[in-house]
Amino acid sequence: MRSKLAPLAALTVAAVGLALAGCSTGGGSGDGADVTTITFGNWRVEDASLWEENVIPAFEKAHPDIKVTYQPTGTDDYNAAIQSQIESGTGPDVMMCRPFDVNRAWIKDGYFDDLSGLDGIDGFTDTALAAWQGDDGDPYCVPIASVLAGFYYNKAIFSELGLKVPTTMAEFTDVLKAIKDDGKYTPLALGSADGWQLSYNVLDSLGPNYWQGEDGRLGLIDGTKKLTDPEFVDAFQAVSDLKSYMPDGFESLTYEDQMQLFTLGKAAIMPDGSWDVTAASATGLDVGIFAPPVQKAGDQRYLQEMPDQGVGLNADSKNKDAAKVFLSWLASSDFQSIYVDKVPGFFSMGSEPVEYTNALAQEFADLKTDALLTPRLQLDRLSAGTPPLDDDTWAVLQTVLNDGVSAEDATTTLQTNLDSWYTPAS
Amino acid sequence: MIRTGTRYRLLALFVLPALLVYVGFSVYPLLSSVALSFFDTADGGSVFTGFGNYVYLFTDPYVSERFWNALRNSVLFFGIHLVVELPIGLLMAALLTSNSIRRSRGVYRTLLFIPATLSVVIVGFLWRLIINPLWGLISFPLLGDPSTALPTISLMSVWQYIGIPMIFLFTALIAIPDDILEASRIDGARAWSTFWQIKFPLILPQFGLISILTYIWTFNGFDIVYALNGSAPGPNYSTDILGTMFYRTFFGSSGQVADTDLGATIASVVFFIILVTTAAYFVVLQRRLKTYEL
Repeated sequence: MRSKLAPLAALTVAAVGLALAGCSTGGGSGDGADVTTITFGNWRVEDASLWEENVIPAFEKAHPDIKVTYQPTGTDDYNAAIQSQIESGTGPDVMMCRPFDVNRAWIKDGYFDDLSGLDGIDGFTDTALAAWQGDDGDPYCVPIASVLAGFYYNKAIFSELGLKVPTTMAEFTDVLKAIKDDGKYTPLALGSADGWQLSYNVLDSLGPNYWQGEDGRLGLIDGTKKLTDPEFVDAFQAVSDLKSYMPDGFESLTYEDQMQLFTLGKAAIMPDGSWDVTAASATGLDVGIFAPPVQKAGDQRYLQEMPDQGVGLNADSKNKDAAKVFLSWLASSDFQSIYVDKVPGFFSMGSEPVEYTNALAQEFADLKTDALLTPRLQLDRLSAGTPPLDDDTWAVLQTVLNDGVSAEDATTTLQTNLDSWYTPAS
Repeated sequence: MIRTGTRYRLLALFVLPALLVYVGFSVYPLLSSVALSFFDTADGGSVFTGFGNYVYLFTDPYVSERFWNALRNSVLFFGIHLVVELPIGLLMAALLTSNSIRRSRGVYRTLLFIPATLSVVIVGFLWRLIINPLWGLISFPLLGDPSTALPTISLMSVWQYIGIPMIFLFTALIAIPDDILEASRIDGARAWSTFWQIKFPLILPQFGLISILTYIWTFNGFDIVYALNGSAPGPNYSTDILGTMFYRTFFGSSGQVADTDLGATIASVVFFIILVTTAAYFVVLQRRLKTYEL
């Protein structure tokens, strides 16, 4: 056995040696003398080819003296990776910024340069910039894209059962009940194994219609409102009420499982974020999107719009001039129209309107009409201590669905934990 | 004959490279991590706080609840490995060395060891599909129920690493000289009593060693839980072990800001727990196990 493998081993060693030699010669030559290469750290591993084939070439065409290297790290490891890279001085020149509290901590630790005065930074609305401001109110990241959340539905199932898209919570319950009574399909493709999506795609999607978007969110921040107030308890109750329409064994179904359930045509409705427009329609299903239903007909409609990606400048970068040219370009509508078109499900945060060629992305964008927009409830200031309201909400929502904890008890736990460290900013 | 002084200097010269690597990459990081746990580095500056972080870890209602929960879970994680993995590993090693399967011994040994060479991510993914309530074998949400989630993950890990104690004990068993076993056969001992009265006492030191190694591995455990459930392992932290709690605290999760000092504190506490129990084991138990000259 061993003697048979020996030639193979020798061959492998030779191949590796050759490859290494190839690398070292390739790295030496290549770039011309006056070309600056900047690195772009980010967590969008899945968009690598879209950036490398569409976005970055467009930039390099306009700026032939600058090359951009796309350097992705999976979203779960991104914060840890950036922190260790920056602390050891090997951080990328420009990098994606998490919204709100994590970024505020990074700004405080001196990771970023202040971007006030950057060309194009004033082309964004204040709400777009707010997610990446420091305590001094200055912008530290260029807003790239936001995400929305809503309900995907299978149009074939809806027409087979003669259902209409619900606009109020009462209609929503009727639709779910009708699908359940029919028995052929799972009403709601939703599992509770991944706590984050219960929070981001369900509570923060249905909830703003209960706590009136920014009124409730800012009320929690300035201390005039508590999570134990009726509007928040009702929102948690609305999530809890979905339980009887979720598939059997939902307690251990993951985010990926529910996507399969929906795309195989076995479930009628799936609460999810706009980033999944491509995945949700990948199997050729006729998919539509409806907005989170309001409590009573005629109520003001609220919609979650979450600032998702910003890009900031590493304070230790050695190529700041080139990096600033890239950031200015990211702030321009040239970039925005390419990006939101090639990466459907992400939405421009610039003040100039942009068109979407993906039909589902356009449907999502249309949900914004007449709706008041609000980011996720937990991420601004309320997650800067221990326990962060964000992680705490994930765990508590799991107890609501898996263990039958009541909405009152759930909100009381969250408020007590929040009170243990948070002093409202007046 | 070289004089003793020169000889020690020569020996020191040979030890030096390994010692430098060990000190530089193991001792220094360990000590600096322990040192970090005595500081508070919030808001740019770094202030010495003595045992402040430890007091916070053990007295803050939320953080201490998370810590005790993670410690309990780590103990359970180890306990399941101890009572399931080691006895089954011993059984497999005993069967492999028995004469009944002598011809296909190599095949079985390889098959049983293969899972240990797989990536944790693959093992987690495979088992997650096998027990998926929608398209798997079992309709009960094993990973979704707080009371079954951690035992389920522990058993996945047992399944994966069963080959390690098996190989370990197998090599100990085949090292037993045949003349001892022949002597016991001539004295009329059957397989059962040969195993428990001759073989097992002879491999007891190795059995003790693999137990304590399992203890160290499981208390430092992290990967299988992280691969299945991420850094805030649900449902409601029921699968959170010391490793994942440390990771979440030290590096932060997507919504949690990293707290390196508290992370270092947790790491130091875990290090201390492992140090004390391992030392106690070696002083109290391992020394009393009889080692026989074979």
